[in-house]
Amino acid sequence: MGWTSRPTRQSDFDRFPSDTPIVIDNGGSTFRIGWAGESDPRITFRNVVQRPRHKATGETVTIVGDHDPALMKYFDCTRSSYRSPFDNNVVYQFEIMEYILDHGFERMGANSQVDHPILITECACNPVSSRSKMAELLFETYAIPAVAFGIDAAFSYKYNQGLGVCNEDGLAINSGLTTSHVIPFVKGEPVLEACCRTNVGGYHVTDYLKQLLSLKYPNHVSRITWEKAEELKMEHCYVALDYSSELKLFQNGTKEAEDKTRCWQLPWIPPPQEEAPSEEEIARKAAIKEKQGQRLREMAAARRVSKISELEQQVHDSGFLLQQLERVQEHEISAFLSATGYTSKQDVESSYVKATESLKRLKGDTAEAEEKIDDELYEKYPLLNVPDNMLTPDQLKEKKKQIFVKTASEGRQKAKQKRFEEGLQREMQHQQEEEKRRENPELYLEHLHVKYRELSEKLDQQKRLKTNGTHTNGSSGGVGRGERLNAAQKERMRLLTTAAFDRGKGEDTFGAKDEDWQLYKLMSKDNEEDDEGVDEDEAELARTAARLQELDPTFVPRSDASPFQPLTELSRLRPLTAEDFQITLGIERFRCPEILFEPNMVGIDQAGLDEMAGISFRRLTSSDKGLKDRISSSILITGGSCLFPGMDARLESGIRKVRPYLSPIRVVRASDPVLDAWRGASSFAAGALFGRQTFTRDDYYEKGEYWLRQYRLTYGL
Amino acid sequence: MESEVVHADILLPPVLGFKKIQMADKYPKGQSRGRHWKHLKQILQAENYLNYPANEPNYNNIESPPSMYPPKKFCDITGFETPYTDPRTSIRYANTEVFKRVRSLPNEYVQRYLSLRNAAVVLR
Repeated sequence: MGWTSRPTRQSDFDRFPSDTPIVIDNGGSTFRIGWAGESDPRITFRNVVQRPRHKATGETVTIVGDHDPALMKYFDCTRSSYRSPFDNNVVYQFEIMEYILDHGFERMGANSQVDHPILITECACNPVSSRSKMAELLFETYAIPAVAFGIDAAFSYKYNQGLGVCNEDGLAINSGLTTSHVIPFVKGEPVLEACCRTNVGGYHVTDYLKQLLSLKYPNHVSRITWEKAEELKMEHCYVALDYSSELKLFQNGTKEAEDKTRCWQLPWIPPPQEEAPSEEEIARKAAIKEKQGQRLREMAAARRVSKISELEQQVHDSGFLLQQLERVQEHEISAFLSATGYTSKQDVESSYVKATESLKRLKGDTAEAEEKIDDELYEKYPLLNVPDNMLTPDQLKEKKKQIFVKTASEGRQKAKQKRFEEGLQREMQHQQEEEKRRENPELYLEHLHVKYRELSEKLDQQKRLKTNGTHTNGSSGGVGRGERLNAAQKERMRLLTTAAFDRGKGEDTFGAKDEDWQLYKLMSKDNEEDDEGVDEDEAELARTAARLQELDPTFVPRSDASPFQPLTELSRLRPLTAEDFQITLGIERFRCPEILFEPNMVGIDQAGLDEMAGISFRRLTSSDKGLKDRISSSILITGGSCLFPGMDARLESGIRKVRPYLSPIRVVRASDPVLDAWRGASSFAAGALFGRQTFTRDDYYEKGEYWLRQYRLTYGL
Repeated sequence: MESEVVHADILLPPVLGFKKIQMADKYPKGQSRGRHWKHLKQILQAENYLNYPANEPNYNNIESPPSMYPPKKFCDITGFETPYTDPRTSIRYANTEVFKRVRSLPNEYVQRYLSLRNAAVVLR
C-alpha cells in the first residue's frame, strides 16, 4: 500500500446542520469518515496508531494513520510500532480507538463540539461489551447525541441492491482484513442466524506471502517488508479457478506456468567489468616483471659468490690448521688451538667437513654431495663391524652413536626412494588417464562426472552422519535420544555403557586396572580417526573437480546448501548476477490467496469461503422452497480481499459443488468492494427512517447495556 | 518540533476542543494503569453466551465449523500436492530433490516452515 498522502483538514464542518449524521466505516484496515448523503467519505486513513517518543523533546506523541516514513528520523520508534484497536475484528483497545476517533473528527473539521448523530459500522454479532464500550466512548467523551451500529457487509449489500447489482434475497460474501463473513439476506434483511465467519482475511494472505518469500530468499529478508508484500499481493496475486490443476501446471514446468511467473527485480548494480588489458599494457607489465626478476637474480648471484668465497676461505683455513696440527705434539694441541678459537682437533675437523659440504652444496652438485657424505659416513662408521666385547666403554658409546646416525641416514634415503617411486607412479597414472582421455574423451568425461557425483554424495552422507541430529533438523516429532547424537557421540555412549555394565557385580571397580583408563583415550580418539578418510575423499573430490573444470567448461562445482548461503559467501564462489537479486513469484501468486478457500493451509481449522456459503445455506431454515435458489442467484462478493482476479469464477465453481444439480448460481462483484460499505451506510444514514434506529444519549443513561444487547438495526430503506 | 514535522501535520494535538474529557485527564500522565483492556478471548468469556438461547446468533456461534473435506496435503517448500511426509522433521515434501533440501535444512528453517501451517513445536 505504501504511504499515501495524509488527509487534509476539512473546513466546512460548521456548515452542516446538527441533525446531519456523521458516517464512520470502522474497518479492520481502513477508517473512513464522512457526511451522510455524500457519495464518498471525506477522510480515509489506515486504522492504526503509532506513539513514538520525540527525540528532541522527549515527549510521547501520537500519530494516527500512515505517514511519511522519512519523518520518523525525528522520533524514537523502538518501543512503539503500529497498534490497531482490533483483536480479530472486534474493537478491544479503546484508548487507541479514541486516538483514531480524535483524528477522524479533527480532520473532519470539528472545533467546539461534535454535535451530530453517528452511524458506525461493526462486525456481525459484535460482543455487547465492545459495543457498549464504544457507545460509552462516543457519549461520554464526545457527547454525541445519538449513535447507530450497523454491519459493514449489510451496508455494502444494500448499496449494491440499490444499484441493481443484486436482489432482495441474496448472499453477501465479505472478506476483510482478518475475517471473512457470509451473510444471507432475505427480503433485504440480513439473517444473522444463518451467517458464518472464518478467521482468515487479507492479513493472512499478506503474511503468508511475506513468510514464503522470506523463506525462499533468506538473503533478501530485509527487502521483503510488510508494505512490500502487501503491494506484491495487490499487484500479482490471483485466485486459481482449479487450484490442483494450476499446481500441476507449475509442477510440470509448462510454458503457460512460465508465462504466469512474475519477477521482482531488486535494485542491483553490476560489478564493474574488468576490461581486458591491452597488448601494450601486457608488454609493459611483463617488462617490469622481467626487470624485477633480473635484479633479484643478480642479487642472489652476488650473495652466492660472496658466500662461496667465504666458505672457501674457511675451508682453506681449517685445512691449513689441520696440516699444522699434524706437526704439533699431542699435549700442546689445546695451547695451540686456544689462539684460533677451536677447542679440539675434532672440532676443527668437523668445521672443515661442514664447510666443504656447504661449499659443494652451494656449487650446485647437491645430490652428489649428499651421496658422497653418505659414503663418507659409511667410512665413518668403523666401529660398527667390531664386536662389542672388543671395545672399551668409550668406544661402545661411540658405536651406539654411530648406529643411530646410520639408521637415521638410511631412513632418509629410503624415504627419498619412496617419494621418487610415488612420483613415478603418479606420473604413470596421469599418463594412463591422459591416454584414456585421448582414446574416448566423452566416455572419460562421463566417468569423471560419475566419480565426482559419487564422491560428493559419499561426502554428503558422511557429513550427514556426523552432524546428524545436532545441527540439522533434530529435536522435532518423535525422535529418540539416539537419533539426536552424531556418530562420535553415539560411540562414546556405547563405550560408557559397556564400561558401566561390564562388571555388573554391584561394586564399582572402575580404575582398579590400568586398562580401564584406556577407555578415555578411545573416546577422544574415535572422533579424529574417521576424519582422515574424509580428508582423503575431500582431496580426491577437489582433484576431480579441478580436472573436470579443466576439461569441461560447462561444469559448475556443486555448492552445498546454496539457498542458505549469505550473498557475501556466494559471491566468492561465482560472480553475482542480476538473477541473484530477483524475487520470482510463481506459485505464490495463487498459493497465497488460496488460504481464503483452504484456511487449513495456514493452520486455521475452519471452512473456506466456498464451503462457508454452503454452511450458510444449511443454517438457513425456511419453508420457502424457492428461497435458496433465489439466494444463490444473487451472490455478492465485497471487501478488500475480493479484489483478487478470478475470485468470482472460483466462488461460482465452489458454490456449485455445494448446491443441488442445476441450481441457478450467479456471483457478482460489488461495484466497489472497498468503498461500498461506507456508501451504503451513508445513504442509509441519509434516509428518513434513520432517526428511529438510533440509540440516543438519554437511552444510554436510562436503558444501559442491556438494551444494546437487543439492539439490531433494520436495514430496510 | 522540527519545522518539517510541523509542516507535515502528522501529530495529533493533545487537547481537542470538541472533546468533553481530554486524553490527559482520562489517562493521567505518570500513573501506571496496568492493563485496562481485555483480549477478545476474555471479552467473549465475559459475555456469558451460555446464559442465552442457543439459537440466538452471537460472536462465538456464527463461527464456521471445520471443513467437511479432508485437508489436502501440500509440500511445505514448493507448495505442490504431495502424499509424503518426512518422519524426522514432519515437513511435507514433493519429491526427492525437495527431500534432500529438507534434510539439509537448519532446524530454525524447519520450524519456520512448520509454523506456516501452525504445526511447529512450541516450547513453553
